[in-house]
Amino acid sequence: MEYKLIKLEKIQEFINSLIATGKQVLAPKQKKEKVFFSLIHSFEEIAMDYIQTAFSAKSAVFPKCEELYTFEKNGKETILNNPQAPENDTIVFGMRPCDGAAFDYLATFFLKENPDYHFKMRYDNTIFVGLTCSSGDEFCFCSSVGISPSDTRGSDLMLTKTENGYYVEIITEKGKKLVEQFANFFEQIEQIDKTKYVANIQKRFDSSALKEKISGAFDWERWEETSLPCFGCGTCAFSCPTCTCFDIQDEANLLGGTRYRIWDTCALGIFTKHASGHNPREKQSERWRNRILHKFLYTDEQFGILSCVGCGRCIRNCPAELSIIEQVNAITEG
Amino acid sequence: MENMYLPYRMFIEKITEEAPLVRTYRLKFKNPADEEKFSFKAGQFGEYSIFGEGESTFCIASSPTRKGYIECTFRVAGRVTKALANCEEGDEIGFRGPYGNTFPIDDWKGKNLLFIAGGIGLPPLRCVIWNCLDLRENYRDITILYGARSVNDLVYKHELEEWNNRPDVNLFTTVDPGGETPNWKGKVGFVPAILKEVSPSSDNTIAAVCGPPIMIKLTLPVLFELGFKEENIFTTLENRMKCGIGKCGHCAVGPYYVCKDGPVITYKELKELPQEY
Repeated sequence: MEYKLIKLEKIQEFINSLIATGKQVLAPKQKKEKVFFSLIHSFEEIAMDYIQTAFSAKSAVFPKCEELYTFEKNGKETILNNPQAPENDTIVFGMRPCDGAAFDYLATFFLKENPDYHFKMRYDNTIFVGLTCSSGDEFCFCSSVGISPSDTRGSDLMLTKTENGYYVEIITEKGKKLVEQFANFFEQIEQIDKTKYVANIQKRFDSSALKEKISGAFDWERWEETSLPCFGCGTCAFSCPTCTCFDIQDEANLLGGTRYRIWDTCALGIFTKHASGHNPREKQSERWRNRILHKFLYTDEQFGILSCVGCGRCIRNCPAELSIIEQVNAITEG
Repeated sequence: MENMYLPYRMFIEKITEEAPLVRTYRLKFKNPADEEKFSFKAGQFGEYSIFGEGESTFCIASSPTRKGYIECTFRVAGRVTKALANCEEGDEIGFRGPYGNTFPIDDWKGKNLLFIAGGIGLPPLRCVIWNCLDLRENYRDITILYGARSVNDLVYKHELEEWNNRPDVNLFTTVDPGGETPNWKGKVGFVPAILKEVSPSSDNTIAAVCGPPIMIKLTLPVLFELGFKEENIFTTLENRMKCGIGKCGHCAVGPYYVCKDGPVITYKELKELPQEY
């Protein structure tokens, strides 16, 4: 691996040069009391010292609403058109390592089997720049799901703030190319020990005890009790960096239209409801159970990866104050 | 890389009214190159679309031995099936597929086959029935037991007659009590009761069952009584679906995706799944 240093005064120039060369830079930006990934027009807009954004940058590669294709009606004929690939590279700048790990999961999910055209089109055009966590909060639990606050998984470049500027680890070829393209902002440096710059994220649950209990947890008798506050709004899924479910919907007039995919969530009753009225997951507790088991069991069976990265967003954002940490602890305690 | 959501453009060659609100469409490819590269196996399904309304999931109801077209049979239930039902012969619709796994009919060679269907559960079996009938020498006795609420609700009425007249098919049709007409020659009674009455041998026999959940639930104990083993009982699952390729998440039954791991499943496998179907 190669290592670089980018001085504090240079990072500003680096970001502004990225923007000047036409790259779309998505970075954390303060909006009132929350931080959101937003399209940045200059470095000053970026919040470099945030703990966690309200939503992940998932929409860079899996937008909330995305065109699958368009159709034009021409008498009895229909003409189908593929969507346009984005013209410019996107840089997701300053994402937390949990989000990096989430992008790694998304790439496995979307590309391993039946590779997804739309995801690939965006993913290949995106460069991921991670930012080591120097602090966390009571909702962070990456270390409980096998991810560290300086994890480089899913990042092309990884930045760690030091006294002298940002220490840069070049993780992938894509990252290397970007650094080479903007070489004058970076200085050569030897590998450093990151430990003292990295937050200490407490373990919030015992992952091996969970692994033991979760495979038999479908028939656990406390699902109804523990999910009682949930009113099925889906905020957890919409703010989750690894949730991938979607609906397909058309928008059209007489001349043609667009077939879209739109984020959907298993928290909603209609998600599984048949046209006949039959619903395999009739109760909210069954939907909540599906969410938990999907994160901690099903994707582990399918891909060998947990699909919870411990970002804590579902806890911070839940209007019913449900906590996935408390839920997991309840399962492990039996 | 291919955009897997782009459908084939098909036109409706023929419409058959099967029963109240149930229709069969015979679809042909608009583009001959699509027809050439397309192939499927018994048990697979597809996404049928009306542009501007959406997509709907049904099995391919015709046999892969009948080339040049596919057929689907659907009941009008939601927005897309309503729009589909408004189509006329010659109209264009979209189709993407085939998706999902298949009935292992090669493994069934030399065996007796028992098909049990209820109502709109016959279309998914019709595909495999015709497939096996078109390869008739591969199989021993073929028995079909089909029930519907009333005589009018039976689908594929002409084909039932054809099967009835074939010496190499044992067909039993039945309607629910009260659903018979004065000149009805079939049986009267629910499918599980008729199965008990007919009492086919389980020896060297594969059973394929498809119908409403209540019918399947009550038919299984009769099959066990007759001595059928769990691994020799097949069914085909149905769940709400959107993408058909294991991405959208709708059809998941625990870690199992009906769209890519199913829809064809043995009772032995089904038993292991969480009850979310």
